[in-house]
Amino acid sequence: MTESTSANAPATDAERRVGLIVVSHSRALALAAVTLAGEMLHGRPLTIEVAAGLDDTTFGTDAVSIMQAIERADSPAGVVVLMDLGSAVLSAELALDLLQDSSIRDRVTLSPAPLVEGLIVAAVAAAGGASREEVAAEARNAVMGKAAHLSTPEPGVAPEPEDQAQAAIVGVFPVANPHGLHARPAARLVSEVRALDASVQLRNLTTGAGPVPAASLSRVATLTALHGHEVEVRATGPQAQEAVEHVLALAKRRFDEPPEQVSAPPAPPRPTPSRSGPLAASPGIAVGPVRRLAAEPVDPALHPAGEPAQEWRRVLASVAAVRREIEHVRVLTERELGPDQASIFDAHLSLLTDTELLGDVKARIRPGTGAVAAWAGSLAEVERQWAELPDPYLRERAADVRAVGEQVLQALTGQPARRMTGEGVLVASDLTPAETAGLDLALVTGVVLAQGSPTSHAAILARARDIPVVVAAGPEVLGIPEGRTILLDGATGALHLDPAPELIEEYQRRAAEAAEQRVRQVALADHPAVSRDGTRILVAANLGSVSDARAALAAGADGAGLVRTEFLFLDRTAAPDINEQQDQYDSIAEAMEGRRITLRTLDVGGDKPLPYLPMPPEANPFLGQRGIRLSLRNRDLLRDQMAAICHTARHSPTSIMLPMVSTPDELIEARQVLVEAAGSSGLPAGLHIGTMIEVPSAALKIEALLPYVDFVSIGTNDLTQYTLAAERGNGAVAALSDALDPGVLRLIDHVCRAASGRVDVAVCGEAASDELAIPILVGLGVRELSVSPPAVARVKAAIRQLDVEHCASLAGQALTLPGATDVRKLVLATMAETQGDAESGTRTGSGVATG
Amino acid sequence: MSENVTTAVFEQWVRGFADLIAANREHLTELDAAIGDADHGSNMDRGMKAAVAALDESRPPTAGALLTKVGMTLVSTVGGASGPLFGTFFMRMGGSLGATAETVSAGDVAAALRAGLGGIVDRGKAAPGDKTMYDALAPAVEALEAALTDQATLATGLKAARDAAAAGRDATTPMLARKGRASYLGERSVGHQDPGAASVALLLDAAADAAS
Repeated sequence: MTESTSANAPATDAERRVGLIVVSHSRALALAAVTLAGEMLHGRPLTIEVAAGLDDTTFGTDAVSIMQAIERADSPAGVVVLMDLGSAVLSAELALDLLQDSSIRDRVTLSPAPLVEGLIVAAVAAAGGASREEVAAEARNAVMGKAAHLSTPEPGVAPEPEDQAQAAIVGVFPVANPHGLHARPAARLVSEVRALDASVQLRNLTTGAGPVPAASLSRVATLTALHGHEVEVRATGPQAQEAVEHVLALAKRRFDEPPEQVSAPPAPPRPTPSRSGPLAASPGIAVGPVRRLAAEPVDPALHPAGEPAQEWRRVLASVAAVRREIEHVRVLTERELGPDQASIFDAHLSLLTDTELLGDVKARIRPGTGAVAAWAGSLAEVERQWAELPDPYLRERAADVRAVGEQVLQALTGQPARRMTGEGVLVASDLTPAETAGLDLALVTGVVLAQGSPTSHAAILARARDIPVVVAAGPEVLGIPEGRTILLDGATGALHLDPAPELIEEYQRRAAEAAEQRVRQVALADHPAVSRDGTRILVAANLGSVSDARAALAAGADGAGLVRTEFLFLDRTAAPDINEQQDQYDSIAEAMEGRRITLRTLDVGGDKPLPYLPMPPEANPFLGQRGIRLSLRNRDLLRDQMAAICHTARHSPTSIMLPMVSTPDELIEARQVLVEAAGSSGLPAGLHIGTMIEVPSAALKIEALLPYVDFVSIGTNDLTQYTLAAERGNGAVAALSDALDPGVLRLIDHVCRAASGRVDVAVCGEAASDELAIPILVGLGVRELSVSPPAVARVKAAIRQLDVEHCASLAGQALTLPGATDVRKLVLATMAETQGDAESGTRTGSGVATG
Repeated sequence: MSENVTTAVFEQWVRGFADLIAANREHLTELDAAIGDADHGSNMDRGMKAAVAALDESRPPTAGALLTKVGMTLVSTVGGASGPLFGTFFMRMGGSLGATAETVSAGDVAAALRAGLGGIVDRGKAAPGDKTMYDALAPAVEALEAALTDQATLATGLKAARDAAAAGRDATTPMLARKGRASYLGERSVGHQDPGAASVALLLDAAADAAS
């Protein structure tokens, strides 16, 4: 009775994805729809079960078959059911009732999407690893593009005036929400109405505004339905009755607005901690007015119009991209902070599926206006309507419209166009690496992010640029009005809104002290870092460009412990040839003035595919083909890179470092390629060959790897995230992903013990510049720390206060503790204890260093 | 009044309903052709023939189990919306009577029909006047309940229910369809009898016959 269609399934992969069920009267239709959807998958595994027709030729639906299909497709990721009409819907509902295991029922979503459009969109989303909610949301919006393309004013029924007079169902509700029918309740209403096969119009009986289509968020807002106003609902179409009943019931429930938002105005401006934050991400103290990122004004004149059809497609593609982005953030927010916090994004999404708005954009494009100008024009119109609303709370919601509109404009123009609104502390939800890198140091004194983690790329870049940052501060910070004063301490994660003058003074005094300390540190940065008991620790720099190398030398780095060669390979359509690479490596060596440079071979994976390095999409690129795994499959590329490195190694002290190694075979094979690359002249005499230790298994069996290397460098960022199974970019688990977790420390300890007396052990992750981690790493036996250039002076200063023997006993203690927090407490306590000694130690250290 | 309604009566009801559906197959399909997709007669006939075949294969010992089996068969074999609707109706009746209860009173039958009606409302979300099977079944259930309250026998009560169902079926003719495919016709659905209501009238016909 049922066809099981798994589009190219390794079942285990497919199980991580949402399963899809196609319910149709016609088996032929269902199978054809699955084939159509399969074309979009490009071989990605996905379970699509078909429950359609009573047999190959008899039309009908069968609740038992549907139930069985659900059981087959079920996995922890859940199931989304797409149906055609009539009995398909009833049978699917019945199938849910028939399920024996009620826990499965909770993982099933019946989608109101049209079957073919919905299936295709859902398949793409599910194969991409989207959650059940995301898949269902994508499917629900599937018809939007088509509706807008055809400029149907609304999906569903276009009412003829006489029809309306004939069969209209009418109801009236009073607005019970204290802030009226503002964006969130309006979005709730719009989504409810859109799910039904009815044409619904709303009229504000109190003010006479309207009627407006209830399916259009932007129009509903123009009703200015305030608390206590009476609103008339008039519906026509097959589900008119239900539409009116639903809207009235929803109104009675205050459109599901959570009570705290019902009673209080929105977004109380208080930076309260989110579940795991706020977290310190980049040290330093900043105080100043709250500023935001706003889009650069886009000049439509700079974006001339193409063919109307082409311009329209650009709008649709950009809207779809932004919708996916918002849905992603929405799901993350819901997971982290719950559905109430996430609901604001529903309003944003509704705007992007607003056929009224899209219809207006299309109407502007048709006579020859460009996509950018048309979108900007339509958006300005909607924003104007909102801004003119008499209710101040609703007026503020115009900011939502602007935010979403700007996101689309950004997608349309391809500009990372957000810029700070003035000098002060930037408060944003998150920053892309590009945005962090582009922050204007003349404007930004500090950064507070609602999301993010201390090891995100944004945080790493901010540290490299010496910008104080606090992350994971929770969405509340986004509600702080611009211009209020905020104080942040990027070393502790402390946030103070409207700080008292004494507090600012206190922090400024501390900042001044830190600055003085920094001056002292920088003055000594060129000198070697030697511990109080005489052990030299190399402090090298992590680099990603030639200019980084110059900065590193100026900062006093003893060498380049990690050169990320990716900078040569990203953002281009063909690989750099040997000559180009040679020039760059030579320039870095030259900039480092004879200090050793450690060049890491290309370290990319499926998350950042290169156009000239084709690789199939992977379900989890961080556990896929990356680093050495990818290089060994593209040996020509590796050989060229190694040849260029050999060239540099013939005149400058150079090391080659292999990333993501997990077995000795990989080292042996890479060495063979290196021998081929070195050519007839043989391996350069001064070339050291080393491996990164990022994979826990490599750390555990380091003895097997040591025979093939001259040094090892522990990449603590990846080692930590692989060991704790916590992705560092995910704010929800940021607190878990701490290199000071004793689990990670035990791996480092094991590596150091095995390597002792044979090869040097370096650390090139973020932990190397973490002042609480340094004593532990040194105590475990690490003798080189590679850090971002601005951190060199600080790290050297920290080392000069250490007593290696004492560190060793501290490290031994740390290994026995249960968690990273305990380790941090231990180190802090020890530091406080020995502070007096440390003060004098600094002087002693300086003496040794200069002497 | 403690008449026990035997399982045989329920079996006879189901078989009688199947016969009536077979006999009226073309008529039901014609009704559906006017306002739907012209498959109601053949769908119901296919489903009820399968239900009878299932009973031929093995007859469950209790009325509850028998009706549940009929319902399960219908949801897999009717194909159209009547599948889940009639299927839910029979399964809810079966559930109301209980799979193991050996004696069934007239009151139990009325309660089971009321539960079946509830199933149809839950499943189809139909309201009075939507021009659906509800418009025939609801008055039938009410008529049976009223008759039993007046101390009538089940046979008498089901005759009243049959008449109420027939009246309800006829009342669907002037209604404007608001559910199912007929609702797509809007005004054009007015003037045609609802085929689902017609089937319900046959269902009550068969019930009255079985109980007499």
